[in-house]
Amino acid sequence: MDPLMIGIIIKIVLVLAIVSALAGFGTYLERKVLAYMQRRIGPAHVGPLGLLQIVADGIKLLTKEDIIPQNANRIIFMIAPAVTAATAFIALSAVPLFPTFTIPTSFPLIGGAIVPSTIADINIGILFMLGVMGSGLYGPLLAGMAQANKWGILGSARTAVQFLSYEVITGLSLLAPIMLVGSLSLLDFNNAQTGGVGSWILWQQPVAFILFLIAGFAETNRTPFDLLEHEAEIVSGYATEYSGMRWGMFFIGEYANMITISIMASLIFVGGYAPLGFIPGWIAIILKISFFFFLMLWVRASWPHVRPDQLMWFCWKVLMPIAVINVMITGIVVMI
Amino acid sequence: MNPNEVKIKIDGVECVAKEGEYILNIARANGIFIPAICYISRCSPTLACRICLVEADGKRVYACNAKAKDGMDVTTSSEEILEERRAIMGVYDINHPLQCGVCDQSGECELQNYTLELGVDSQNYTIADCKRESTNFSSVLHYDPGLCIVCERCVTICKDMVGDNALSTGPRNGAELDKELKESMPKDAYAMWNKLQKSLIVPSDESGQTNCSDCGECLSVCPVGALVSRDFVYTSNAWELKRVPATCSHCSSGCQIFYETKPTSISDRSDKIYRVTNEWNYVSLCGAGRFGYDFENSGATKDEKQFTKAIKAFKEAKAIRFNSTITNEEAAMLQSLKKELGVKLINPEAKAFQSFLKDFENYRGESLYSGNYKEMMSESNFIISVGSALRHDNPNVRYTFNNIQKLNKGAGLYFHPVGDTLIESLGKNVTPIYHTPGLEEYALYLVLDLFASKDELPKETKNYLESFHKKATKTVQETIMEDVTETVVDEETGESKEVTKKKPKVVEKEVEYVANELASLLGAPEGFGDIFEKMVAKADNFSMVVGEDFYAHPRAENLAKLLAFIEQYTAIKIALIPPKTNSLGVALICDLDEKADGYTIGYNEAGDFRLSALGDGDLDMPALNQQEGTFTNMHKRVVPTNAALSYNGYELNDIMSALGLGEQLSIDWTSKLPTRKGFEALSFDALPNGFTNAGEELRGYMLKQKATKAKAFEVEKPDESYKLEGEIAYRCNPQRQFNDFTNRAHQIFEPFALYVSEAKAQTLGKKVKVEIDDVSLELPVEIDAKMSGDVVKVPDFLSSKEIYPLFNAGRFKQVKISEV
Amino acid sequence: MNEKQKYIMLDLGGTPLTPWCRFKRVVKRTFRIELFIGLWVTIREMFKTLFMGKSHTTKYPFEKMPIPPRYRAIHDMLRLLESGHYRCIGCGLCEKICISNCIAMETRYDENQRKEVSEYTINFGRCIFCGYCAEVCPELAIVHGARYETASEQRASFSLFEDMLTPIDRLKEQEEFAGYGAPTPWADKNIKKTPLAY
Repeated sequence: MDPLMIGIIIKIVLVLAIVSALAGFGTYLERKVLAYMQRRIGPAHVGPLGLLQIVADGIKLLTKEDIIPQNANRIIFMIAPAVTAATAFIALSAVPLFPTFTIPTSFPLIGGAIVPSTIADINIGILFMLGVMGSGLYGPLLAGMAQANKWGILGSARTAVQFLSYEVITGLSLLAPIMLVGSLSLLDFNNAQTGGVGSWILWQQPVAFILFLIAGFAETNRTPFDLLEHEAEIVSGYATEYSGMRWGMFFIGEYANMITISIMASLIFVGGYAPLGFIPGWIAIILKISFFFFLMLWVRASWPHVRPDQLMWFCWKVLMPIAVINVMITGIVVMI
Repeated sequence: MNPNEVKIKIDGVECVAKEGEYILNIARANGIFIPAICYISRCSPTLACRICLVEADGKRVYACNAKAKDGMDVTTSSEEILEERRAIMGVYDINHPLQCGVCDQSGECELQNYTLELGVDSQNYTIADCKRESTNFSSVLHYDPGLCIVCERCVTICKDMVGDNALSTGPRNGAELDKELKESMPKDAYAMWNKLQKSLIVPSDESGQTNCSDCGECLSVCPVGALVSRDFVYTSNAWELKRVPATCSHCSSGCQIFYETKPTSISDRSDKIYRVTNEWNYVSLCGAGRFGYDFENSGATKDEKQFTKAIKAFKEAKAIRFNSTITNEEAAMLQSLKKELGVKLINPEAKAFQSFLKDFENYRGESLYSGNYKEMMSESNFIISVGSALRHDNPNVRYTFNNIQKLNKGAGLYFHPVGDTLIESLGKNVTPIYHTPGLEEYALYLVLDLFASKDELPKETKNYLESFHKKATKTVQETIMEDVTETVVDEETGESKEVTKKKPKVVEKEVEYVANELASLLGAPEGFGDIFEKMVAKADNFSMVVGEDFYAHPRAENLAKLLAFIEQYTAIKIALIPPKTNSLGVALICDLDEKADGYTIGYNEAGDFRLSALGDGDLDMPALNQQEGTFTNMHKRVVPTNAALSYNGYELNDIMSALGLGEQLSIDWTSKLPTRKGFEALSFDALPNGFTNAGEELRGYMLKQKATKAKAFEVEKPDESYKLEGEIAYRCNPQRQFNDFTNRAHQIFEPFALYVSEAKAQTLGKKVKVEIDDVSLELPVEIDAKMSGDVVKVPDFLSSKEIYPLFNAGRFKQVKISEV
Repeated sequence: MNEKQKYIMLDLGGTPLTPWCRFKRVVKRTFRIELFIGLWVTIREMFKTLFMGKSHTTKYPFEKMPIPPRYRAIHDMLRLLESGHYRCIGCGLCEKICISNCIAMETRYDENQRKEVSEYTINFGRCIFCGYCAEVCPELAIVHGARYETASEQRASFSLFEDMLTPIDRLKEQEEFAGYGAPTPWADKNIKKTPLAY
């Protein structure tokens, strides 16, 4: 078989395995980080440093009874979580994670396979990712509407409003860097920033960066914008009636999305996997992704969340004008 | 204003009272508070506590024994008086154990109350304590001398009210007081303390046991937790108990009592009666009332099968046999059954009473009887008892008899065939006349002879009475002894010999006097004429109580005539003692029949279908502590009683309802009691049940007495043919036993046995066979220490033993007794 | 205002009335670094927890916090230290004062002429742990103990006299109660001495 094909399959398996494992690990990290920030120690009893807590949680989720409410639309109710998880992973397929490399030939079976940096090296990677992540909206939306629960309905209504609104911001904020780089391929973005810290698009587009981050928080349903399943107001929003692994899929999807957003932020604004001085590229990107992931937890520990009306106000009256102005200024600068 | 009323001022409040009333009682009646521990209304002042000290017209007097004079000005407290009182309470608190937490008085303690009331907040006195160990005075009395403050209330009530005289003060062997205290302490407090250090309560009997009637009045008057019933000790705090005002259902006195209930145990939350208490200032209970409370019919359920059978039985019944331990309402229901279904009502004991009462009413021209026991107790100073074993039949009449001796300094004549040493001991002016049974008519003639003014009597009677008067001379032995009390009883003429402290010597003397052969016929003591002179000397208010012996007497009608006659020609007020709890009510409400044949329903009695509140019949009925209703008591009063314990079975009213004759509730019958018999159409809930501070009884209502047309009659001469000779049995229950219900109570121990005097017991073995007519009974022999003479007593409190019919409702019977 | 309470009044400023004022407020809030102060606080605490051991976590089943003396957990019945006899005298005050009516007791006259508590029970299904019983107890016999772990297979597990009574073999470990109803350190001052003749 084509060494590239084998490499792609290997990469798919790797990405699926690693990211879903990371999603689980993410929950552990989140609990730990939140705990430390609140002067606690978080999970500590299961396994060394409480690491096996992930396994325990997994076992719990898998063995829990899968309850489908009596009046729910069964099929949609069952499909919805899969939509969330699937879209999250599909989005990752266009992400270049680390440089292309060849597996040494001494390796049995898969020796010589070329593992590409991107699973699907489509030249409109950014557009693809935005599109797939946007379709991730269907997961919560359908879940909430299918479960015959008023909190679910409220949750899905909020989902639609929030995701659709903030997609505008994401798109507009990325328009400016795209205009600078002149490509929709993430590889091109990476390549455009290989000149060390100084060449990061962050410095040219700080406003776009901040807008992207804010919109990213909103799209991944993170504090301060976690209104979709806000316990104090709507029980658990679209996830109210879910339990066991179906609920777990929403969870994995959310964490996969967090990773995706972190990766996008690293690639588009802070130099991607270009080597950073003495730090090799793959370590550099892991550090960057980790930072953005950590930032989400950090913000969760520090800030309260906003009201739904503030959320909308913020989106349409503050962020969108700024984004449009930013695009215009960038356009003028590029023209000149 | 009534001439024998006085006006006094207490703390500026005008009070009107009877002359000779104590200041304390006047204050209490008018709602003015004067602290007092040792005084009991209706008893003589003890002057043990001395805290009722007040100032009357500037002079210090004790309110409990200072009589009111017109225009008196009384101040109940001043700084000096309070100082005295505080010192006294301080002294009471010396060495009093601080174990209020476990004490049975638990908050009802007068020591605690007065200590707080007078603000005693520190102790200034001290003395070494001495060892005092708790003992049991009798099968029911428990005495903890550690808690005793020697107020002597128990002694007082036992002497002045109950008459057992079973308690007295004895030595404490406490430490001597420091002589210096006499100067430094308030006077009264010192005197009180001095006495307190020397005395404790002990049984008068040398055995260390009270050997009394176990009435428990001493327990109820105890202001602290020193005297408590043995059964109640440490079982409950007073505050946990729910007080249910009720009426005692054991005898016709119908005393007001409180059943005090609380859940049985942690696992059994159904109520149980823990004790019976009373308003001891106004009501005195007997042992049956106080201790015979747990006779409830527990565990009764609505057994529909039996109920259906009962309905069938009622439709079929020719007669209903019942006794008088029922409420007025039940009696009214039974009467309604008679009216609607034509059944006959059989109640021999009430029937006898009913016909006697009817005769008596007819001859005297007024319904019921004229005497009133409460008035007797407070006013009368000469009481005659005929036809009743006073100690057993009705404790309250006995208390009245005793109280008249003690408080009114009265005298008493006791006509009865059975010797009773307790009655003899009630006062020095009590003369018992133990006559042969069957001579009751002579007794009444003697009363007539003694009290009637001879000129008013019909000639025939006058002549008949005078035929007994004989002039005679007698040689009288006069003994003069050192002991003064002895000489008083024996003194015949008191002519020349005066009491001196010389050695006793016997003088013989010839005296001429009018001998009354009636008296000697009845077996009156020697020199009865002179004894009677002395008895009657100071008396001005005469009363007479008539007991059950008369009601089924073969000459009952003549006895009734004689009583009416006595009432007509003497100043004596006569009161009848209804034989059983509600005999008066039953007699007034029900038309009773002599006898009946055919299918009989028995209510607490034998019958073909048995309703029973004892739980042993075909259908359960509520016992009298489980139902509401009213009784008609001997005080001619209709008194309410309440249910202390729950009852889940059927009541008589349910049967009535099933027969289409019922009311919604049993107590709906209360307003339906016959008004033409003196009842009032008042609903049950309108009946009060209490006393005022002045001791006025506010319980239910008094029966209305109506004048009727008196039937002309002539008294007959006594018929001696009913005189009984030989071995005689008297139908009489032991003290504290009245019926099956008292027998059920776990604190009433008197067994079903042949009761005999100590002397008689010598001639009998432990168990005897008693033959009455052709029935023979085997009974164990019990000694009644207060009995004398040869008559034996056969109890009838167990209805299953069928004693009552053996005596044909009468009380005396010739029997054969042989040792087993 | 009471000075002792030391309230700090928060000055939030007035509500902006004109759109311009509102805009100014948005800009002001946007460029102030308050949000970053929040981030700083959390990251600071994280480092303190991680590297300076300032965690507040108690590893509960393995470590236990000391119970403050006034904590009201499951009741204990104490014994007299000298004789080992239970202190309860059966006065019934706890039963009386109990506002949820969950205490019941049975007493009797025992062979030593003392009031014996033959049965005692607290219905913990009803008890609201108000502490009145401990406060009213004149003997410090019923007190609130340290047993706050009250999960049990049966509601009745704690409710009998024997369950609450200090085990006789652990009498030495019995601690004096310092919570409600315990005498104050200055209690002696409030009592007048009663003279005794011995």
